Amino acid sequence: MEHLLVTIGRDMFAIFGVLALCGGIFMVAAKSAVHSVLGFLFTMLCVAGCFLSLDAEFLGMAQILVYAGGIVVLFLFVVMLVELSKYKEKGVFQLQTRSAVVAVVIGAAVFIGVFRNLLFGVASSEALVLRPELAQGLNVAQQNAQAVSRGLFSDYLLPFEILSVILLVALVGAVVLAKRERV
Amino acid sequence: MPTMNLTQTMVMGLIQVVAVLILIFVMVPLLTFAERKVIGYIQVRLGATRTAGGHVGITGALNRGMWAMGKVPMLSILRGLPVFVADILKLILKEDIIPAKAERSVFTLAPIISVLAAFGVFSAIAFYPGALFTFPARFPIVGGLPFMGFISDVNVGVLYILALSSVGVYGIVLGAWASNSKYPLLGGLRSAAQIISYEVPLTLSLLTPVLLAGSLNFKDLSVRLSTGADMHWLAIFPLFVGFFVYTTCGFAETNRTPFDLPEAETELVAGFHTEYSGMKFGFFYLAEYTNMIVVSCFASAFFLGGYYLLPFGLQRFIPASVPFLGQPSILFFFLKVFTILFAFLWVRATVPRYRYDQLMDVGWKYLLPLTLVNLFAAALIRFAF
Repeated sequence: MEHLLVTIGRDMFAIFGVLALCGGIFMVAAKSAVHSVLGFLFTMLCVAGCFLSLDAEFLGMAQILVYAGGIVVLFLFVVMLVELSKYKEKGVFQLQTRSAVVAVVIGAAVFIGVFRNLLFGVASSEALVLRPELAQGLNVAQQNAQAVSRGLFSDYLLPFEILSVILLVALVGAVVLAKRERV
Repeated sequence: MPTMNLTQTMVMGLIQVVAVLILIFVMVPLLTFAERKVIGYIQVRLGATRTAGGHVGITGALNRGMWAMGKVPMLSILRGLPVFVADILKLILKEDIIPAKAERSVFTLAPIISVLAAFGVFSAIAFYPGALFTFPARFPIVGGLPFMGFISDVNVGVLYILALSSVGVYGIVLGAWASNSKYPLLGGLRSAAQIISYEVPLTLSLLTPVLLAGSLNFKDLSVRLSTGADMHWLAIFPLFVGFFVYTTCGFAETNRTPFDLPEAETELVAGFHTEYSGMKFGFFYLAEYTNMIVVSCFASAFFLGGYYLLPFGLQRFIPASVPFLGQPSILFFFLKVFTILFAFLWVRATVPRYRYDQLMDVGWKYLLPLTLVNLFAAALIRFAF
């Protein structure tokens, strides 16, 4: 029984991962923008499934709640309102292709540069590196949510707060842009 | 609990799922019936409270006899039953039309998403914190196993339920878009804006009990809140405000009056489901009423004391040694669920619909600051005592 559950967990991770990739490909390839959003939604749900198969139920649920329940709905909202066919005729997307390729290449390079050690180095065997006295608290945490919050609000408080400030910057920027257009 | 092998786990799971499905399929039709009758009595609508069958056959003879005696035939609780039966028959038998210009795949997908999201939520809802009864040993596979009051004991149950219900909005938005028609699209946009707006205070108001009791597990949270274990008596105030905000947002999330702008029939024909007919429409209908039950379960579990008699953590004044009133019971839980469901119907019959800007004002300018202050108060109480 125990053995079976463990293998199911590992297999499920692979299955959800492949499904998430399929969703992503569907999202890029779909002709209609709403279908793209549906593919994106599917990918988000599958990523949540990946988290769940790794026993990270808090992250999985937060993934669905934030991405599937909030952000993708907003995407859908915008896509439904904007007539994308108008832009297709003007060739806006074609103009952007060249710069998009450059951006993707730079992004990939930066990603590999930052996460090289994490992906291929020694660090990949350790999931989360905390100070020993905090790691002890992590071990006694009975729930997933407790473990995540202890990591976030003790050792990684500053990066966490900086991240939220970045989000705030995006929010304020959006308001400023929208206001300027109206005046 | 005795340890179970894989077959037993799966069979028990199946039995519990079927039991909850039966519960849903009994409660939803009864709820629509109750809705007709309650609104019928409040607004003096004659059909729903008087209709009692035809004038032919055995029942017809009975009816004629009772009319002759100057009485409305049939027991008053059964009056209006023919309307209800006709309603369900119509839903099942009506032709299922997909408009020619509609996006077929998404059009079909939308009601499925709605119903799946609404039903999936029940797998984490606990109707009773422990075993309801134990199967006698003479049953082949499940003999000696307890029948629990919940399907699964998810340790982030509250988050799971919030996540799934937030996925439910896709049903409405996609259905509206796929209909390829003006009124559904307007209804769908309204709905998306409304549900996103009200999800914020809804989630924040649920954080109040989570903060006070310190658990994300549905039944743990409910039991801790109602018995008031390690909770200061001041906690009753944030809980009360939280209850008020939660039920208000619950009305908005389920698209009920006074927040039923997505299907405001005087402005938008029938809103997002204008182009739907037959059982596809029935699915949206089913999802809406199931969501009402979910909201009622939540409100009763986290604010009204759940499986115990008294709400808001007042249960601590009744010692556990008192035979019936001091013990948890599934009856108390359903009593509260039905009370809130009745409030749903009551509000629908009495409160007029909000204007769109008023709806947004209520959500963002009143409910959101109120919940934030409330959450802060709860945190203070938790911190100070």
